Amino acid sequence: MGKLFDFKLIFEYLPSILSRIHITLLIVVLATIIGLVLGIFIALARIYKVPIINYLAIMYISFIRGTPIIVQLFIVYYGLPEILIGIGININRWDKLNFVLVTYTLNTAAFMAEVLRGAITSVSTGQSEAAYSIGMTRWQAFYRIIAPQAVGIALPSIGINIVSLLQDSSLAFTLGVIDVMGQAQAIGSRTLHKFEGYVAAAIIFIILSIALEKIFSIVEKKVITDKLVGDSR
Amino acid sequence: MKFDIAFMFVALEAALRYTPITLMLATVPLIVGIVFGTLVAVARLFKIRILGSIFKIFVVIIKGIPLVLQIIIINFAVIGPVDFLAEKFNWSFASKDIDRLYIVLIAISIFSIVNISETMRGALMSIHKGQYEAAYSVGLTRLQALRRIILPQAFPVAAPVLCNNFIGLIKGSSLAFIISVTDLMNGALITATSNYKYLEAYVASAIVYWAICIMIEKASVVLEKRLNLCSKEVAV
Repeated sequence: MGKLFDFKLIFEYLPSILSRIHITLLIVVLATIIGLVLGIFIALARIYKVPIINYLAIMYISFIRGTPIIVQLFIVYYGLPEILIGIGININRWDKLNFVLVTYTLNTAAFMAEVLRGAITSVSTGQSEAAYSIGMTRWQAFYRIIAPQAVGIALPSIGINIVSLLQDSSLAFTLGVIDVMGQAQAIGSRTLHKFEGYVAAAIIFIILSIALEKIFSIVEKKVITDKLVGDSR
Repeated sequence: MKFDIAFMFVALEAALRYTPITLMLATVPLIVGIVFGTLVAVARLFKIRILGSIFKIFVVIIKGIPLVLQIIIINFAVIGPVDFLAEKFNWSFASKDIDRLYIVLIAISIFSIVNISETMRGALMSIHKGQYEAAYSVGLTRLQALRRIILPQAFPVAAPVLCNNFIGLIKGSSLAFIISVTDLMNGALITATSNYKYLEAYVASAIVYWAICIMIEKASVVLEKRLNLCSKEVAV
C-alpha cells in the first residue's frame, strides 16, 4: 500500500459504490412506508388506550427505543427463523436483505408511532369535541379533522426519523447485504485500499442526507403554505 | 435448537461485566459534547466570522455520515499515518499498539459534539430575544449575558433532549464492535463464540441496553421536574 491516501481512487470507486445505492434506498423507502402504516395503528392503539394492545405497544416502543439497532438486527436474524419454524414456516433460505427489511420496518414503526402519537395528541381536544358535537363519528372526526392537522405537526419529526433511518441502514452490511456500505467493504478487501472506499461511501451518505433534508424542508414549506392559503379562503 | 435460558444468563453476566466500558464510551463523549457542542452552537448563533461558517459546514458533513462509517474512517485515519511513519523511521511502536478504545472514544465524541451542538442551538434559539436585549441594556457584555442570563435558561430547555442524546450515545457505542473493542455487546458475544448461541447473547445484551436506557429515561423525568421547580422558584 505505497501511498497513504489516493484521492483519484475515490472517484474511481464512486461509480461502483453508487451502483448499489438502490439497496440502501429500498431499505429506506420500504421501511418508511410500512413503518408509517404500522406506526399509525400503534399510535391509535395507544391514544384510544385499547386494552392489552396499549401495554404491548408501550413495551414494544420502549424496547425499540432502548436497544441499539444492531442488536435488533441480529435478534431478528437469529430469532425470526426460530419463531417461524415453531409455526411451521421455514425461512432458512431467505435472502438476508429480507431480515434487514423486517428489522428496519419494525424499528421505524416504533419511532413513527411515537411521532404520530405526539402530533395527534397535540391537536387540541376542543377540535375533536367540536367534531363530535356536529355529529361526526370517531373515525370521521379523526380522518377529517384531527389527522390533517396532525400531519403538519408530525412532518418535521418524520423527516428527522427518515434521515436517521438512512444512516442506520448503513448497518445492513453487517449481515452481508451488499448496499453502499457493503460495496465499500468489498472494494476494501479486494483492493486493499480500504480507506478510499469508505470515504467514497461517506460522500454518498452526506449527499443523500443533505438531499433528503432539502426535500423535507420543501415539503414542509408546501404543506404550511397550503394550509395558510386554505385557511384564508 | 431451542432458546437456552441458562446460557442467556451466562451471557448476561458477561454483558454486565463489560457495562462500565459502554457507560464510559457514552459518558465521556456526553461531557465532551456538552462543552464543545455549546461552544459550536454559540459560535454559530452569534455568526462569529469564519468560525461560524466553518462549524456550519462541519456539522452538515458529520451529520451526514453514519456513526459506523465515522468510526471506520477515523480508525483508518489514525492507523494509516502511524504505520506509515513507523515504517519510515523504524519505530518499535505501530498502530496495533494503540488501544482501539481511544479511537472509538474520539469517533463517538465527534458524533456527540455535532449532535449536542444542534440540541444547544435549538435551546439557545428558544430563548426570547428580549432576554439578550435586556442583558445588553444593563451593560452586560456578550459573554456575561450568555453565562449569566442565557445559558442558565437554555440548559433546562435542553435537558430532556440531552437525555435523549445520551441514550443515542449508549446505543451508538454498540458500534465499537466494528473495530473489535470489547464493550457490552461484544462481551456478551464472546461467550457465544464457542457454542454459536448468538441469539441468547444478543437477547442478553438487549436486556442490559434496555435497562440502562429505561434508567436514563426515568432520571430524565426526575431531572426535568427538578429543573422546572427551580425555574418556577426563580420566576416567583
